[in-house]
Amino acid sequence: MAKWGMVIDLDKCTGCQACTTACTMENNRLPGENWQDVLFYHEGTYPNVKLMWFPRPCMHCENASCVSVCPTKATYKDPDGGFVLMDYNKCIGCKYCQVACPYGVRFYVDERAIVQPDIRGVFPSDTDRVWDPPYKGPHDDPARGIGIQPHGVVSKCTFCYHKVSKAPKGVPDLDEDIPALKEYVPACVRVCPPKARFFGDLDQPNSRVNRLIADNRGVRLKDHTGNKPQVYYLSGGATASVPSLRSSRASGQA
Amino acid sequence: MELLKTALSRRRFLKASSAAGALGAVGFGSGALTRLREAEAQVHTTTFETRITKNICHQCPARCGIDVYTTNGRVHAIYGTTEHPISNGKLCPKGPLGTYILYDPDRFKGPMKRTNPNKGRNEDPGFVPISWDEALDTVAERLNHLRDQGESHRFTLAYGRGWGASCAGLQGTFGALYGSPNVAIGHSSMCSDGSIISKKALDGVGGYNAYDYANANMLLMFGVGFLEAFRPYNNNMQVWGYIRGVKVPKTRITAVDIHLNTTLAGSDRALLIKPGTDGALALAIAHVILTEGLWERPFVGDFHDGVNRFKSGERVDPELFEEKWVKGLIDWWNLELKDRTPAWAAEVTSLYVRDILATAREFGSTRPSIALFERGAHAHSNGVLNGMAIHALNALVGSLYAKGGLMSQMGPSYGPMPVDAKDFMDDYAQNGPWKTQPRIDLKGHKDGYLLANNMLQELGPNSLAGHPYKLDTIMFYQTNPIWTAPNGQVWEEALKELFVIDTSPFPGETAMFADLILPDHTYLERLQDAPTYPFQGWPLTQLRVPAIPPLYDTKYFGDTLIEIGKRIKGPMSDYYKALGDTENVIRHLAKGFEADPGDNGVKDFESWKEKGVWYKKPYVYRYEDGEFRKWDGEDYGILMTDDEVKAEIFKTSSGKFELRSGWLEENADWIAEKTGRTRDTLMIPHWEEPKHPGGGDLYMVTPKVAMHAEGRGANIPVAIATLQPVLGGRSTAYIEINPRTARERGIANGARVRLRSELGSIEGYCKYFEGCRPDTIVFPMEHGHWAMGRWAKGRLPEHCGEITVNQSDRITGQCSYYTTKVSIEAV
Repeated sequence: MAKWGMVIDLDKCTGCQACTTACTMENNRLPGENWQDVLFYHEGTYPNVKLMWFPRPCMHCENASCVSVCPTKATYKDPDGGFVLMDYNKCIGCKYCQVACPYGVRFYVDERAIVQPDIRGVFPSDTDRVWDPPYKGPHDDPARGIGIQPHGVVSKCTFCYHKVSKAPKGVPDLDEDIPALKEYVPACVRVCPPKARFFGDLDQPNSRVNRLIADNRGVRLKDHTGNKPQVYYLSGGATASVPSLRSSRASGQA
Repeated sequence: MELLKTALSRRRFLKASSAAGALGAVGFGSGALTRLREAEAQVHTTTFETRITKNICHQCPARCGIDVYTTNGRVHAIYGTTEHPISNGKLCPKGPLGTYILYDPDRFKGPMKRTNPNKGRNEDPGFVPISWDEALDTVAERLNHLRDQGESHRFTLAYGRGWGASCAGLQGTFGALYGSPNVAIGHSSMCSDGSIISKKALDGVGGYNAYDYANANMLLMFGVGFLEAFRPYNNNMQVWGYIRGVKVPKTRITAVDIHLNTTLAGSDRALLIKPGTDGALALAIAHVILTEGLWERPFVGDFHDGVNRFKSGERVDPELFEEKWVKGLIDWWNLELKDRTPAWAAEVTSLYVRDILATAREFGSTRPSIALFERGAHAHSNGVLNGMAIHALNALVGSLYAKGGLMSQMGPSYGPMPVDAKDFMDDYAQNGPWKTQPRIDLKGHKDGYLLANNMLQELGPNSLAGHPYKLDTIMFYQTNPIWTAPNGQVWEEALKELFVIDTSPFPGETAMFADLILPDHTYLERLQDAPTYPFQGWPLTQLRVPAIPPLYDTKYFGDTLIEIGKRIKGPMSDYYKALGDTENVIRHLAKGFEADPGDNGVKDFESWKEKGVWYKKPYVYRYEDGEFRKWDGEDYGILMTDDEVKAEIFKTSSGKFELRSGWLEENADWIAEKTGRTRDTLMIPHWEEPKHPGGGDLYMVTPKVAMHAEGRGANIPVAIATLQPVLGGRSTAYIEINPRTARERGIANGARVRLRSELGSIEGYCKYFEGCRPDTIVFPMEHGHWAMGRWAKGRLPEHCGEITVNQSDRITGQCSYYTTKVSIEAV
């Protein structure tokens, strides 16, 4: 029983969006349906201006708000691996989960397409899915939100369940640089050129992801919400840090 | 079967139907409800077979090895090849776009001819499908006729992104056998010849550099877009992750550009410089390196007594300095550098003295350090001088061919072609009237661009003007000059007069003026070789292996060329019959690997196809402690003589890195006449005010961005939606404008604006951005296509090329894309 987690080193991320386009390719997402997005910010006045960016996948929270609010149990926490998944067969498209998610990583696409003409009209589905492009991948598992969704449901990052769930049992880390493991690595991690992303089992104390979190002061986004994300961010080596729920004082909640 | 329009019913239904497993459409109403076929519900498909083929990405020149995933005949995924030295299993954001390119619904589906004789933006070409035989015979008939008339020079083949010996590599031979000085004309002057030729002036090599970033401790970047566009982008980012996140000590980075981009944001120091003044900054850095005694003495040399006499404003007696691997340092100092103080450069560049000083000290005192530059710095009228000033910094700190420095790229051990073209040249090829004709672009001609490599941007205008003559037939490979040339409107007029053949797999502006369309395969359908662009110096070449058979009736460009060659009268046709096809050519290239197997065991065609790449480490040359050495099989143990250095390293007349360029000096008369530069200084890196045409009051800079997938990005919805993350351009690309500049002109954030130069005007939407210089507007060169496909059509902003003046650096021929000045107003 692994608890898969991701570590993103913000000191190495170049803001290139390879994670975004690889995810879009691997998971057959629509233009702009960025399960894995990179958000850009800037502040200051010329010539001293700060430009920042923030890569943001689904956090696959331990206590996921989206799971709590779902009236039909369409979104659920898979106990084997710790994935937060969607069952398209159960989703009624109420979008409570979109409102409840503190991270903005849930998507509803039955709206006007960002890029016109709408690509769904170019590659229509004859099986009542949202669309059916010729470059669609072979994986299709609607009960886990894998493959192209039907109309009227919310979609989300699966942590590339279709890859990760087939990984050899007991592997502490899924490192794309190890040829035997690369096919099990989530698309966003696998392509990341500066190797800013790491994927491994948070339940194995000696996994590389746990080591990175420990050595480089891994933090979780919006920890105060109590969602307990399984995605950690590294940014800088300073020991002074914002207390988080992972610190020993808060560990009683685990 | 009609179901109740409630979710509860649907879930119950699905539960029931999955057990029944019945087929048939379910008639759900519209709205929030999901409509699923029964068989689709809860079915998890698990059994399929996926095949992986090797290929090379096509979205930029970097040539990343990719694994292409095909299942049931459909290509659905692309990942970097783990064992490929450039991609190392990774991808840049453009890599995954290949599937969309393959299945682009706007692709040309087979050869076609034009039926509407009128050409223009609003003229439907009336393309009708024809057979390949008819298409190729039509081309051959025209070419044979021209040759019969002694006018074969009026046929041109113009190309952009050539890949290797089996496509662009075949063109030169075609020109020699057929008899045209215009076969082929490359686009290097519209790419980055300003870099190549300004380096050639100093080191005599004339190529893009290979870089050893991973061992460098400081990088000083001038207008390169290292984290947006600079090749090999994917590997640059891999290196970035290492030198900024792993390496000890962390490599220091200063980036110079005209707006805040991700490269500048990620660097230690961002210098927002006035466009066209990068050379002034480089000169000031050189000044500080010399006055503060920071130069690399074993490479540069030293004063005989070791006492530094470089003092601002004071001349130095050349007799007192002994040069080692450079030539002309004291001339450079006395004629130029002595007055190029940081205070002077601050005035020219608008930078702060403190930043210039800090950059110079850091660059001069950190070893190894690399100064790199591309179009941002040299795409100006003074480009060659800017480029020389920057490249000279590498000599001052001894980075040339050093560990952690920069070098030139070696070529692969290809085998010879199946037959030798020399044996197939008839008298016309050897002595025909074409021999006395200048090139249409006046490259190498004193009336044109004597020292340039190519001048594609002049081709259209020259033919239109009939100077030196009018062309008759023009064929394009991987280039779309109506769109990519500055002031492409002139090309529209030029192509109206010519018989135009386009070989792109896709519609485009140039294709709309074509008389014949001979569509190429897309890259995932090709068998095509491609030696590396300059990377890490050691030789590397790779292969595209078709993932699937061609989707449509298309033909690889190399084969199109061979098939045309077979139809030309005389011995030329025998040559192409002997070549056979491109697969035969590639098989012969691979024979070279038999004697020189790659590090990964690739030793023939089959193993090349399997692994996709042949390479051989290490790099053969190394500069160390004042000497050049060669690899002896175990170490850099072979000391090179001065003659060897001259033949292999610094290919200048002196065999040194010439800070006083002998090559420019040899051409001093012509340079002085055409540029107005004085004979005293035209051969040294010096400051010259750039000429900014256009008539406006703001610099217009239109960089390549990370999502710019060459030749096709503007018609890929996923690329459009992620093109401009900094400003949030998701269906348009916003024109960056400094808020102060906008407010002074009464322009609101997000307003529709008009940009105007003396050539005309274009429109788009602007956005305020404090990271943009107040004297500059910036937007990516991407949108504004009118014939590229359904998603590209009409997308704002309109095309920057239509207000970009066709001005080139007279020495390098570099098209000065980033130097036009425009005005902006609210619409």
